[in-house]
Amino acid sequence: MLFLLIEEQAKDAAMGPILEFVVTENIMEKLFLWSLRREFNDETKIEQLKIYEMLVTQSHQPVLHHKPILKPLMMLLSSCSGTATPAVELELAVLLNQLCSILAKDPSILELFFHTSEDQGAANFLIFSLLIPFIHREGTVGQQARDALLFIMSLSAENNVVANHIVENTYFCPVLATGLSGLYSSLPTKLEENGEWHCLLKDDWLLSPALVQFMNSLEFCNAVIQVAHPLIRNQLVNYIYDGFLVPVMAPALHKVTVEEVMTTTAYLDLFLRSVSEPALLQIFLRFILLHQHENVHILDTLTSRINTPFQLCVVSLALFRTLIGLHCEDVMLQLVLRYLIPCNHMMLSQRWAVRERDCYSVSAAKLLALTPVCCSTGITLTVENQAKDYILWTKATPGAGSCIGYCESMCIVKYGRAVDISYLQYLWEAEAIILHCMKDCQVWSAPYDGEDPDPDTFIQTLAEENSKNVEHPMFRLQQRTSSNCSSSQITPLGEKIQLELEWDDSYDTGISPGSDVSSPQPYDDLGTVERQLPAEPPKHIQEMKKNAIMLVKGSYIEESDFQDDVMVYRLCAQKDAQDDDNSKEETLSTATESQNTIQSKPIKRSLKNSHPDTDVKEHNRKNSGLPQDVTKEQINQKAVETDSQPGLELKLSPPEADQNSNVRLLSPDSEEFIAQYDKIIEELDSNTTGLEEQKLLTPDPVSPVEEEEDFENFSVDTPSTESILSPFGPKEDIFSNHPARSQNAAFTGPFISVVLSKLENMLENSLHVNLLLIGIITQLASYPQPLLRSFLLNTNIVLQPSVRSLYQVLASVKNKIEQFASIQKDFSGLLIQAQQYLLFRADMSDVAPELLTKENIQHSSGTGKGRNLSEASQILLQPFLGHRAKRVTALPGIPLPVRNAVLAAALFPEFLKELAALAQEHSILGYKILGDVDDYY
Amino acid sequence: MNPFWSMSTSSSRKRPETEEKTLTGELRTSPPRTSTKKQLPSIPKNAVPMTKPASPAPSSQSTNGTHASYGPFYLEYSLLAEFTLVVKQKLPGVYVQPSYRSALMWFGVIFIRHGLYQDGVFKFTVYIPDNYPDGDCPRLVFDLPVFHPLVDPLSGELDVKRAFAKWRRNHNHIWQVLMYARRVFYKIDTTSPLNPEAAVLYEKDIQLFKSKVVDSIKLCSSHLFDQPKIEDPYAISFSPWNPAIHDEAREKMLTQKKKPEDQHCKSMQVSGLSWVKPGSVQPFSKEEKTMST
Repeated sequence: MLFLLIEEQAKDAAMGPILEFVVTENIMEKLFLWSLRREFNDETKIEQLKIYEMLVTQSHQPVLHHKPILKPLMMLLSSCSGTATPAVELELAVLLNQLCSILAKDPSILELFFHTSEDQGAANFLIFSLLIPFIHREGTVGQQARDALLFIMSLSAENNVVANHIVENTYFCPVLATGLSGLYSSLPTKLEENGEWHCLLKDDWLLSPALVQFMNSLEFCNAVIQVAHPLIRNQLVNYIYDGFLVPVMAPALHKVTVEEVMTTTAYLDLFLRSVSEPALLQIFLRFILLHQHENVHILDTLTSRINTPFQLCVVSLALFRTLIGLHCEDVMLQLVLRYLIPCNHMMLSQRWAVRERDCYSVSAAKLLALTPVCCSTGITLTVENQAKDYILWTKATPGAGSCIGYCESMCIVKYGRAVDISYLQYLWEAEAIILHCMKDCQVWSAPYDGEDPDPDTFIQTLAEENSKNVEHPMFRLQQRTSSNCSSSQITPLGEKIQLELEWDDSYDTGISPGSDVSSPQPYDDLGTVERQLPAEPPKHIQEMKKNAIMLVKGSYIEESDFQDDVMVYRLCAQKDAQDDDNSKEETLSTATESQNTIQSKPIKRSLKNSHPDTDVKEHNRKNSGLPQDVTKEQINQKAVETDSQPGLELKLSPPEADQNSNVRLLSPDSEEFIAQYDKIIEELDSNTTGLEEQKLLTPDPVSPVEEEEDFENFSVDTPSTESILSPFGPKEDIFSNHPARSQNAAFTGPFISVVLSKLENMLENSLHVNLLLIGIITQLASYPQPLLRSFLLNTNIVLQPSVRSLYQVLASVKNKIEQFASIQKDFSGLLIQAQQYLLFRADMSDVAPELLTKENIQHSSGTGKGRNLSEASQILLQPFLGHRAKRVTALPGIPLPVRNAVLAAALFPEFLKELAALAQEHSILGYKILGDVDDYY
Repeated sequence: MNPFWSMSTSSSRKRPETEEKTLTGELRTSPPRTSTKKQLPSIPKNAVPMTKPASPAPSSQSTNGTHASYGPFYLEYSLLAEFTLVVKQKLPGVYVQPSYRSALMWFGVIFIRHGLYQDGVFKFTVYIPDNYPDGDCPRLVFDLPVFHPLVDPLSGELDVKRAFAKWRRNHNHIWQVLMYARRVFYKIDTTSPLNPEAAVLYEKDIQLFKSKVVDSIKLCSSHLFDQPKIEDPYAISFSPWNPAIHDEAREKMLTQKKKPEDQHCKSMQVSGLSWVKPGSVQPFSKEEKTMST
């Protein structure tokens, strides 16, 4: 009968006789009731689900409009909720998927679904509710459920009733968001380390089922945000922020071991690259830029990690490359531009030059002139240069008097004027990335040309906005606690004293103390920032947690009241805490400093307390008024802070072990600790040169074994005399990341400082670090904003003496390379080997099928012919080439100790060309009227 | 008579983007514009390959003398920068286009819209010294010697020197030469003329001067559709109005004014990320409804 019904053709609007019979006799309901009375087992469910599926998909007439069919269907569906076995679920998902696709095609049926549910008195829109539990499921069931939900989402875009219902009456958004948290907690906390990786590519994450599942859910969120009604979009975005980023990602970024932090950073980078919807990307960026974890901005923490000698630095650089490649104004503002807006980095008389263009390629010439003599004799670094690239030099003479006698003679330049063909490729590429960037920057709010935003009113505006925005919970308070930022900058100072110290500092910058996984802690005494955080999570969060538990437990029934007191975060937290604990026991190699442990944590805490964060302005005034005293005092504070941390890292475990049972971390005897801290501060105050001496006093921690190789690389660093000089200029700079103070001090921001100082050590850096640095600086230099462009590429501009310019850093690298070449035996031979190796790598990467990052797409597309080193850098750098990567690792002839230096020497001239090409392109592209930019695409 | 270097390969860039401004289809450059402006159009078929390069592998030579090898790039980009400046200036009635073969030679045309030389359409060529910007000032030569006190009656060369006695880099730009070339037709100067006859007539017999000018304008107009004097794919050439070709182009030009707004809106959605409120320096200060508080 069923088949007959399916085959029945409807005539006009009337029902066919079979359908009419089914409807009048209420066959379907009878069937259902009958099955209920008999054994109502999985088999009968599956059979009925199949019947309906066939009916709705294959019937020639609309069947769902008839209540006698719809009602039993709904009854059947609700009977399937909650308790289904996998077999039933599979069938259920298929049916629901079909129903949703029908809904999407014919919204009129939607009404029917709503009404039927009302009749039943059950939760309405049953289809939707039934789908929710499958959101995060893996395999086909999950995929079908997600597809089905997307149908409904796109439906919601036009239907307010649906949207409202989903937002108000279902747990769709909370489940989706907290599901991310749940899935995240099952991701591997350490990634297999195969020597050189810095970011996760699709090839890589496809190998990890847990990661695939997470990425599916994230992509689903992205898709939902793309198609759904704004109400749903906003709710989901908020839940992801409050339910995933803040409670899960933030603590994860502050885990205790380097590997875990690295892994999290790589995940974050992957997520950023995977998310395409602006609304979703926005909260990720908001999280990175504005969220404070333990009173420190995530951004500052990430920046400080660039200075670590570990692989962590590579991963962090990769994340920054992604961030900068987004061409997002907010990112660039926070990272770089805010420090350049006041124009303090240059001489006052030079401000006019910000917008100046380098008409005659003077800067490019100066950059290229930095090419070390020893590097100019090498193989030409183009792969397929011979055949098609040659430059014809036309020698033309206009005819005498009149122009008619245009005679020409042609010659290829031979007499000593060989032309670097690969440079054309760089120019071509520079044009492409600048235009791409210019196009993206069209939506920016200001040109950043030294006039708009106005340097002089900048500080004022900042202050005003601060007071205005205080209400906003996610607002970034301008008083940036300097703890993590500054520790990264103190690092170079530390180099003077002790190798281990730097190691230490960087180690600790990666990990802040008390990095437990509990929800935000109520610091009652920490002033405005903390006070804004509610002591209790907001209501919706609590609700969300509740739902998440249901999800985690594998069942989701909206009606059922869950009184489970185990919150999902606690579940995750416990899990993580256990992991932490295990790993900590590994790293905890010395017991001697255990005494320090107890002190160090509260010191850090109370340090924060000591910052007068109650009144920013007053604080600023004080600083500008009494710069010396304050600076001194802060140096001391810093000293305490940085000193206290090394111990702290290693010795967190005893308290944390306790936290296992009591997840919430609250230092029990904080008053006592504060008292101890005060005492130490007192001692320090009496000691004006506290900084360095304190450094010396710090105990040497033992290096974790697993970082041995990195550690070795790093130690190459120390003998070189240049590194002793602090690249940060006078000490005041260290603290001038305080925006108000930057009015007086010349400072280009922590990020630029760290990147440039890292670049200065090019010879010691590993190949990956250098390639990433080059990539980052190239990206920065491709921004059309005059402030950035003039700072990075204008070699004529006169900066404040305390500010290091890119040119100065490059000049220093040049000298190092030349020095190195002069003492290294057979330098040119080694150089050629290095060049060949790099080219070989580039060729290898040709095999790499796809590059995922958005910003790389255009980059890689241009790499067909005439490849050269830096151009290929994006590809070169790809980690996890898996089996392929291993074949590349051989670098036969170059002895290990000088390998990094030789590779750097091979890269450096290419980097210069890249920069010079950018400078030249800027000089002619800047005049483009923005509208024209589109013509190039 | 300066010999000059020029660079022209398939991968060197010259951006012939002036054509947005060209008048309603009267003006046509010889090679058809390819739709992709990004890259130079490949060598047009009508451009005869000059000579085969004798040895095609100059790059295999060692690159000693690093700095010298980039000289041509600097020159090329200096000229491109000059060209973008010209474009930016939007001199009324003046159009230029660098030649295909050499960035040191620019083709141009000037339309005089009022004054004594009204309705004049004068084609010219600019020659830029190869040691630019450190050399002499560029030369500007009219295809046909216009009857003008400052234009050489034989060679057609305009007396540019008087305005740019010494060419100073950073201060003097080629657009200034073009502006000067335009101005001489509106404000006539007769001191130390290259064409003394024109100068004298202008001073003494303005009527005869005017009639000579009219003759000169007519002569130029009658040769307007001639083939360009210098064979070059980018030479400016005129053709009579042909609705089949020009109507569409004209339509496009007239409608183009509306377009930018649309494009802007579109690109707002498509690419580019900013949540900064204009006038603010705070990230995420542009509060849409996306974030609830």
